[in-house]
Amino acid sequence: MSFLTPILLAGAAAFLIPLIIHLLNRRRIIHVQWGAMHLLHEVLKQKKRRTQIEQWLLLLTRIAIPIVLALCLARPVLNALSQLPGFGKSSLIVLLDDSFSMRAPTADGTPASDHARADLSRILASLPRGSDAQIIRIGGTPRPLNTAPSTTLDLLSADLTDIPAVQGPVSLQNSLQSALAAAQKAGNPSKEILILSDFQKSDWSSLLSGASLPVLDALTSKDPDATRPALTLFQLPTQLSENLAITAAELSAQLVATSQPVALKVRIQNHGKRPWQDIPVHLEADGARLRTARISIPPDGEASLYFTHAFDSLGDHALTVRLEGDTFTDDNAFHTIVQVRDQLPVVLLDGAPGSSPLAGALDFFNLALTPHLGASVPSLRDLILTRTIDPKRLKESDLAGARVVILGGLERSNGSLFPILRKFVENGGGLLILPAENADPLKWRSDLGKEGLFLPAKVTGQTHIENIDFPARLQTTRFTHPALLYFNDPRSGRLPDGEFQHWWKLEPQGDDARTIASLDRGVPLLIERPLGRGLVIQSAIPLKPGWSNLPLQPWFVPLAQRLTAWLATQDTESSAHLIGTTPSLSLTSSQSTQPFTLTDPLGQSSELKPESATLTLPALTQPGLYQIQPTDAAPSDPKSIRRIAANLDPAESNLTPLAPTELTDLATRLGAQTANDFDTYQRLDRSRRLGIEVWQPLLLALLALLFFEVLLQQHITSPKRR
Amino acid sequence: MATLSDILQSEDITSLQHLQLFARTVVEGFTTGLHASPHKGFSVEFRQHRPYVQGDEIRRLDWKIFGRSDRFYIREYDEETNLRATIVLDTSGSMGYRGTGGVLKLDYARKLAASLAYLLMSQQDAVGLITFDTKLRQIIPNRTKISHLHLMLETMIQTKPGGETALAPVIESLGNHLKRRGLVILISDFFDDATALLKAVGVLRHQGQEVVVLQLWDRDELEFPFSRFARFENLENAEDHVALDPATVRNRYLEVLADFRQQITEGLRKHQVDLLQLPTDQSHATALRQYLTLRMR
Repeated sequence: MSFLTPILLAGAAAFLIPLIIHLLNRRRIIHVQWGAMHLLHEVLKQKKRRTQIEQWLLLLTRIAIPIVLALCLARPVLNALSQLPGFGKSSLIVLLDDSFSMRAPTADGTPASDHARADLSRILASLPRGSDAQIIRIGGTPRPLNTAPSTTLDLLSADLTDIPAVQGPVSLQNSLQSALAAAQKAGNPSKEILILSDFQKSDWSSLLSGASLPVLDALTSKDPDATRPALTLFQLPTQLSENLAITAAELSAQLVATSQPVALKVRIQNHGKRPWQDIPVHLEADGARLRTARISIPPDGEASLYFTHAFDSLGDHALTVRLEGDTFTDDNAFHTIVQVRDQLPVVLLDGAPGSSPLAGALDFFNLALTPHLGASVPSLRDLILTRTIDPKRLKESDLAGARVVILGGLERSNGSLFPILRKFVENGGGLLILPAENADPLKWRSDLGKEGLFLPAKVTGQTHIENIDFPARLQTTRFTHPALLYFNDPRSGRLPDGEFQHWWKLEPQGDDARTIASLDRGVPLLIERPLGRGLVIQSAIPLKPGWSNLPLQPWFVPLAQRLTAWLATQDTESSAHLIGTTPSLSLTSSQSTQPFTLTDPLGQSSELKPESATLTLPALTQPGLYQIQPTDAAPSDPKSIRRIAANLDPAESNLTPLAPTELTDLATRLGAQTANDFDTYQRLDRSRRLGIEVWQPLLLALLALLFFEVLLQQHITSPKRR
Repeated sequence: MATLSDILQSEDITSLQHLQLFARTVVEGFTTGLHASPHKGFSVEFRQHRPYVQGDEIRRLDWKIFGRSDRFYIREYDEETNLRATIVLDTSGSMGYRGTGGVLKLDYARKLAASLAYLLMSQQDAVGLITFDTKLRQIIPNRTKISHLHLMLETMIQTKPGGETALAPVIESLGNHLKRRGLVILISDFFDDATALLKAVGVLRHQGQEVVVLQLWDRDELEFPFSRFARFENLENAEDHVALDPATVRNRYLEVLADFRQQITEGLRKHQVDLLQLPTDQSHATALRQYLTLRMR
């Protein structure tokens, strides 16, 4: 028997009160020197035993009342009854790991996920009648299989067959939080959280090393009032610790045009203790193998290699990198979609055009975006096509077809400019704003008035460094912004060479504004803010001498191009997805009425019907390339085909599980017990299933005792009784 | 030398003297002939003639009949004696009960015995005293002299309660000491097995003794008024005790008491033995009055 609120058991000590009263009464007994003992003996000959029994019964009843009351308040849970038919109902909350690592084979060669399903079915079948269960899949984002606890356990077992192991890493905090929430809703006092997992070291090592999770406080609470569920760690031991995996394939350019060679950087991780030599790695484009490279990877190490390829047609093209060598092949390929586009139209709104070369406000920028202007070699064709317009004469129609607008040198806005720009951004365009060289920042802000509220930054003044020997420089901590990740590689340029003497003081405006680059004086250099389907970036400096030497840096060209590409691709749907997600595609109004055919990596097709302007795909369960095409379009029409790539979460490729000793340590920390097969679990389960809560019968017993005490007292003192 | 005042208080003695006057009236008026002796002997009251047999005393021959009929006849007379009353006083442990009223039962019994002795001696009856507990302790033979009363009183004074009562065998053994028939006044609480007691009294009656039982009761024994948890310790046996809640057994006790009293009453009636049940909170005068009233019947 165990108690949910054992501290209230202390109340049972109140049984001493009637006992003490009884003993005190005995101590205060009067002594009577009596002659007519033969009469008393005669009385007691018939009544002595009965009277003694009654007296003891009365005392026991009075002692039992506080004890039963304390037991009742302590909410006892009876274990023994759990073995009887109809008793021992329990609520089982199963955290079923459906992450990709569960595909790893066990000792008999079958995947751990199959073992998990089989063992779970047996566990569900062995639950006492009336028990309920809830299964939460914990790969990636926790998702309940059944939203409410289910007592139809056989149907629940049947549902297990539809759970593929394709998800990303287990989020412990979210998973355990979901389990606790489910446990609180569970109907039976006996509750158990069962974690069925391979216990990948990468998921659990932080917890094992002492990291704290907020949910652990509730899970390991010693609070007697808390109804803490029992916790079981059921490890499905995988036998595979050696694994090679392609963890990433990154394109060198965000914009890819036809005949433009693009580099693909491939990262390969060796999750194992043995070195691999000359592993063949293949590059496939649109299903055709193009070339093969060989690579050696040290134990527990990573290696990179580059492939270069140029596409000769527009549209979505698939690139697949595949390696050979290890037995666990599911993570040996990485897929990516390259969107090959024609030239990117960019509008330069130059408020201060120059009369001489590079004198205009945006001349440096124009040069950086179109470095190959006039080159006759096709491979050196510029990807960006610029057009310069006077901002004071800008009409909405001028921006038709443009993807990005760069605004610079504007000292004073006319009334219609910013509303046009705002509409442009909201419809998916990108806008980069550079200050005018000679503008007064405060006046610029006041002139802008309310029309500037959509901008990422509020201009609060300007700063000038007189001592040119100590200019400000770029803060070169590791960049996290996608447009600047390229500059984390030292080979991309010496960013500290950039010197800044003058800048506008910017303050992020709006909750969604974020600084993407700063100067080492702690002031923002670039601030971005999403607006509608587009994005706005505001700079603190114009590209003018006296402000900075930025336009003279070799890395200015990739910076300008990457910022522009980033702005241009905001409206582009991602074509890279993780397995287990359910991507959706936005459609044009004409597309939204027609059915689509989805072809998965195994070549199986299914028809999808769009809802309004969105086409929602089913959960991606296979790594590889998916193809979506209007059903009535010609299969050979490349323009009608949209492709998406589904890859496994690279974190799942490290298959190393927790060692048995580590699992034991983890269980100790969590107050849990461990099992690694059904039989072990059954033995655990029998020894600690909580049973049923028995406070209600105890309450009835208490009432019965109270009545019995009153009746017995009346019976004993009744003058009529014999 | 013990005197009556050693046992009785002055008002009791005064009361007793009144009683004596009362008793004399009663005895003289009512008891003549009640004590007629069954023994024949020299007396004034002729009973019968019978033929002379060898061994008869020559002086008892009726010479007048011899003169008329020339035959030897013996004259027989009823012997007219004083009453031989023996007071048998129970001094067992149970008589040492001092109730909530403060009266020691043995004290009451002593006073009652003294009063009776005085009363009887005043009537010229021969009075004896026997005290007993588990066996007969003191035996003072029957005498009529008033000086004999002092001996009895002294014996009573020196008597202490103690020892167990085994009434039935003691009563049975009384016959061995009471050579002549007479009145046996048994003053006791009669706390013994009723069947054995009645059997013993029957034996006494069979021996020709007239028996009067004065059964003494303390008010506590009649009403069992205890309310607090109590340990009842046997006055006759220190090892015998019971602890109980009196409230829980009171009713049953009263029932057992009533049964016991009824059994004693009916059993004694069968043996033609007079019984007086005397509560110790009742005055001795009242008790004696009841006794004398009983004797008048």
